[in-house]
Amino acid sequence: MMKATEITQAGIAEKEKKKAQKKQLFRAILYHGSVGLLGFIMIYPILWLFAASLKGPEEIWVNMASLIPKKIVIANYVNGWKGFGNITFTTFYKNSFIFAGIGTLLHVSSSALVAFAFARIKFVGQKFWFGVMLLTLMLPQQVLLIPQYIMFSKLGWVNTFAPLLVPRLFGHPFFIFLMVQFIRGIPKELDDAAEIDGCSRAGLFFRIILPLIQPAIITAGIFSFYWTWGDFMTPLIYLNNPKLYTISLALRTYADPAAATDWGAIFAMSALSLVPVFIIFIMCQKYIIEGISTSGLKG
Amino acid sequence: MKGSSSQDVIGKTVEPSRKRKRHYRHDNLAGYAFLSPWLIGFVLFVFLPIAASFFLAFTKYDILRAPRWVGLANFEKMFTRDLRYWRSVKVTFFYVFTAIPLRLVFALICAMLLNTKRRMVSVYRALYYAPSVVGTSVAVAVMWREVFGKEGLVNYILAGFGIAGPIWLGDPNTAIWTLIVLAAWQFGSPMLIFLAGLKQIPPELYESASIDGADRWRKFLHVTLPMLTSVILFNMVMQMISGFLIFAQAFIVSNGTGAPMDSLLVYALYLYRQAFVTFKMGYSSAMAWVLLLVIAFFTAIVFKSSQYWVFYESEGGE
Amino acid sequence: MKKLVGCLLVVVMVSSMGLMAFAEDIELRIAWWGSQNRHDRTIKVIEMFMKEHPNIKISYEPSGWNDHWTKMSTQAAGGNLPDIMQQDYARVEEWVEKGMLHPLDELVESGVLDFSNVSEGNLSGGMVNGKLYAVNIGTNSECWLLDVDAFEKAGVALPPQDWTLDDFEKIALEIHEKSGIWGMGDGIDNEQRWKSNYLSSGTWAYSDDGKALGYTDNQLHIDYINMLLRLQEAGAIPSRADEVAEFDGQGVEAKAIVSGKAAMDYMWSNQIVAVWNAAGEDRNIVMVHPPRTKGGTAANYVKPGQFLSVTAHSKHPKEAAMFIDYFTNSVEANKVLLAERGVPISSVVAEGLKPLLTASQLEMFDYMARVEQDSSPLPPPDPIKHAEVIDNVYWPEFMDPILYGQMSVEDGIARFRELASEILAED
Repeated sequence: MMKATEITQAGIAEKEKKKAQKKQLFRAILYHGSVGLLGFIMIYPILWLFAASLKGPEEIWVNMASLIPKKIVIANYVNGWKGFGNITFTTFYKNSFIFAGIGTLLHVSSSALVAFAFARIKFVGQKFWFGVMLLTLMLPQQVLLIPQYIMFSKLGWVNTFAPLLVPRLFGHPFFIFLMVQFIRGIPKELDDAAEIDGCSRAGLFFRIILPLIQPAIITAGIFSFYWTWGDFMTPLIYLNNPKLYTISLALRTYADPAAATDWGAIFAMSALSLVPVFIIFIMCQKYIIEGISTSGLKG
Repeated sequence: MKGSSSQDVIGKTVEPSRKRKRHYRHDNLAGYAFLSPWLIGFVLFVFLPIAASFFLAFTKYDILRAPRWVGLANFEKMFTRDLRYWRSVKVTFFYVFTAIPLRLVFALICAMLLNTKRRMVSVYRALYYAPSVVGTSVAVAVMWREVFGKEGLVNYILAGFGIAGPIWLGDPNTAIWTLIVLAAWQFGSPMLIFLAGLKQIPPELYESASIDGADRWRKFLHVTLPMLTSVILFNMVMQMISGFLIFAQAFIVSNGTGAPMDSLLVYALYLYRQAFVTFKMGYSSAMAWVLLLVIAFFTAIVFKSSQYWVFYESEGGE
Repeated sequence: MKKLVGCLLVVVMVSSMGLMAFAEDIELRIAWWGSQNRHDRTIKVIEMFMKEHPNIKISYEPSGWNDHWTKMSTQAAGGNLPDIMQQDYARVEEWVEKGMLHPLDELVESGVLDFSNVSEGNLSGGMVNGKLYAVNIGTNSECWLLDVDAFEKAGVALPPQDWTLDDFEKIALEIHEKSGIWGMGDGIDNEQRWKSNYLSSGTWAYSDDGKALGYTDNQLHIDYINMLLRLQEAGAIPSRADEVAEFDGQGVEAKAIVSGKAAMDYMWSNQIVAVWNAAGEDRNIVMVHPPRTKGGTAANYVKPGQFLSVTAHSKHPKEAAMFIDYFTNSVEANKVLLAERGVPISSVVAEGLKPLLTASQLEMFDYMARVEQDSSPLPPPDPIKHAEVIDNVYWPEFMDPILYGQMSVEDGIARFRELASEILAED
C-alpha cells in the first residue's frame, strides 16, 4: 500500500518536474528564437559588409543584394591593406590604436575625477559649472572647427597628435555626466562608513567610489574607444602627413565618387576596422556585467 | 555599518540624518581641485573657440577672407527669408521626437532581455551592440543604401508579406524613415548604459520584493524602474542632445545633400553646407547658436521635470 | 687682437650662413583629392621628382573629394595652406578673388613653367582676369557612353556625332520599348547639362560679370525639362526617386550601363576607365558627343578636369612651380599617372603615352581628339555664387519639385530665375 502511494507521489512529482522542464524549454526556445532572430536582423547589414568584402569587382555592383559571394576573393583584403603610397594599414592601425588608446585613458580618468566633484562635493558655483559643461555639448562641432584650428595652429600643434590628445586630458561632459549619475546611485551611508574609518576625500574617491562605479567606467571606456576609433574630423584637420593618418581617415581617402575606386578594398578594410572595437567590447563585457558587489553594504 | 542597506530606503521617505548633513558642508577647495581637469581644459581649449563662434554669428565670414560685421542680419535672414532653414527645423524636430523615443525604448527592452544569465547571452549582447560599432564610415553609406534599395533587405522582407516596398531613399516621404531606422538600429550605446544601470540594482531589492509577493511586472514597476530613473534621465538628456545635433548619419544616407527634396536636411547638415559648401561661416555660426538655445531650453525642461520622477539612491527621496 | 677675432667671427658666421643657404633643403607640401589609385600614382611621381631634385622635399596630404575642401578652407583660414594644391574649375575664380592663389605668369616668362607644347586653349581655363593661376593637369569633357551590344539587341543604329536632343529622345524611348531596359542612365538633370545646353545654343548660363543669369530665353530650358519628364513618364530613364536612391554619390562603378540596366549613360570622359573596368573588359562601349540643341554647336567643351595651383601661403613658389612643370611635361612621370585625371595638356606627353593605353583609355584619348575638333568654346569659370545657386535653389526649389511632380515646369522656371537672380546680384 505504502509503495503504491510512494510511487504515485513520486510519479506526480516526476510529472510536475517534466511539465516544469517543458515550460522551461518552451521559454528558452521562445527567448533564443526571438532574441536570436532579432539579433540576426541587427547584424544583417554587417554580414552584408563582410560578404561584399569578399566579392570581386565584377560582382559587387552586379550581385549586390546577396549575402553569399559567387566567388570568394581575398584580394580585397590584400589590396586594401596595402594602403597607398607605401603606407600600409599597419601604420594606420598603429595610429588608430595610439589615438584611441591614449585618448580613452585620458578621457575616462579625468572624467571620473570631475564627476566626483559634481556628485559628492558641494562647492560654490557647482550648478553653474555643471550647466556650462552641458552647454558645451550642445554646440555643433562644425562651427568650432575653424576657431579651434586657428588656435592650435598658432600654438604650432598642427600635424601632430597634440590637438587630438591634449583636450582629452580634461574629460568629456558625456562621461562626466554619466559617472555623476552612477555616483549618485551609491548610498551615502558608504561615505559615512568610510569617514568613520578615517578615510580622506581622496581615499574615499579611490577606494570606495571608483570601484563601485566600475560598470560606468568600463562603459565610458568602450564608448570613448569606439568614438575615437571612428572620429575622422579631427584627424582630417590636424594630421597632414599621411603617415599619421588613422584608419577612419585613411578609409575616406580611398573613395572618390568621380574616380576609379576599389570598393572591395574599402569594404574589406571597413569590415576589418570593426574587429578591434568588437574585441574590446567582448573583453569588457564581463566587467560591466559583474556589477557592483554590495557586500560592502552589509558589513 | 551593520544592517543598513538600500532596503531601508525603498519606498520610504527618509529623514535627513544628521550624519548625512555632514557631507553637505561646503568644501570649495576640494570641489575645485577635483573639478580642475575639466575647468582648465574648458578655459584653455573650449572657451575661446566658443566665444569666437558667438562673435562670428554676427558677421559675414567666407573663411577665405576676414569676417565682416553685419549685426543681426544673419538672424533676420534665417527667420524670415530662408525656406530651407525652416525645412531643416521641421525635419530635425520630427527626427528627434520619433527616433529618440524609439531608440530609448528599444535600448531599455533589449537591455532587460539581455540582463539574464542564459547561455549565449554575451553573444547576443555583442550582436545587439555591433551596429553601433559600425559607426558612420563610407562603407556604411553603401551598405545602408543596399538595405533600403529597391531590391534590398527591407523590401525583400516586405515582399514576403505581400507588400510592395517603396523606393525608400528616393521618395521624400519615406527617406526620413531610413534615417530613423538607422538611428534606432544603433541603439547599442544607450542599451549598454541601461545594462550597466540594471547591474547596479542590488539583487537584495528583488529578493525582498519577491518575499513581499511581487510578480515580474510589479518588480519591474517598483524596483527596476525607480532604480533606473537616474540612468533614464541621463540617456534621455544625452540622446536628445545628440538627436538635435545629428549629422553624420544624415550625411551618409543622403550623400551629404539632404536629398531628396531636403527631406533629410537635418539642421546640422544644413549648417555644415552653409559653412563648407557655400562658405557662409557667419550664417552657420548664427544657426549653431540658435540651435544651442533650443537644445538648452528642452534640456532645462527635462531637468526641471526630473525632480518629480528621478530617484537617487544616495539622497533617499520619494 | 680683439679686432682680428671679431673679424674672423664675422667671416665664419657669414660663410656658414652662405653654406647653409646652399645646403638648405626646400620643403614643400602638396594636397590633392582622389582615390587610392590616384594617390599611389601621384606619390610615385613625387618620389621621382624628389630623386631628380635632392634638395627639394615634398610632403603630401591626399584626401577624398569632400574632405579636401573642408581641409583646404580650414587651412586657408589658419594661414596654413600647402604650397601646391589641386584645384577645380568651379572654385578657381573664388580662390583667386580671395587672394589665396599665387599668379604664375612670371614663372612662365622666366621659363620655370614650360608650356611650349601646350595649346593656348588648354591654358585659358586656368586664367582669371587674364592672369594664369592654375595649371590644367588633365582635360576632360562631358560624354555619352553607348553600349553597342544593347543598341544592336534593340535594333537601333548608333547615333552620329552631331545628334540632337530630339534624336536622343527618340532613341531612348525606342530602346526602352524594344528591350525593356532604361534607354538612358542617370544624371542628365544636373546643372552641368543646363549650362551646356545654353552653351550649345550660343549663350551661357551666367552673364559676363557673374551677377545675373546670362540668357533671357527660358524656352530652351523648359523644353529640356519637359523632355526629361516625358522620358521619366515612359520609364525610359530612371525617375528622380531612382536616381537619388541608387545612383547619387555611389561612385561611377554603380552607373546603370555597368550592370546593363541602361543602354546609354552620361559622365565625364575620364570616368570611362573606372566604368569599363567595373563593367568588364569584354563589353563593347563607345563614347560620343552629348546630343546638341537643334542648330546649335556641340553641347560640350574641352574642360580642364583638375588643376594644380601654387597657393599664396607658399614660401617657395619657384620650386612649387618646378614640380608643376615636371608634372606637366615629364613623359616618364605621366607614364605613371597614365592619364588618370584626364588627357595631359602637353602634346608631347599625350603622344608618348599612346603605346601604353588600354582600350578604355584609348577611347578617351580618341574622343578628346574629336572633341578638340568639334566643341563649343570654353565658357568662363562659374561665378562665386554658383555653389549657392546650385545648392540652395537649383535642386531644392526647382528641379526636385518639378521632377517629383510637385511643381509645374513654368512655375519652376520662373521661381528658379527669381531666386537665382537674387543670389547672384547679392554682394
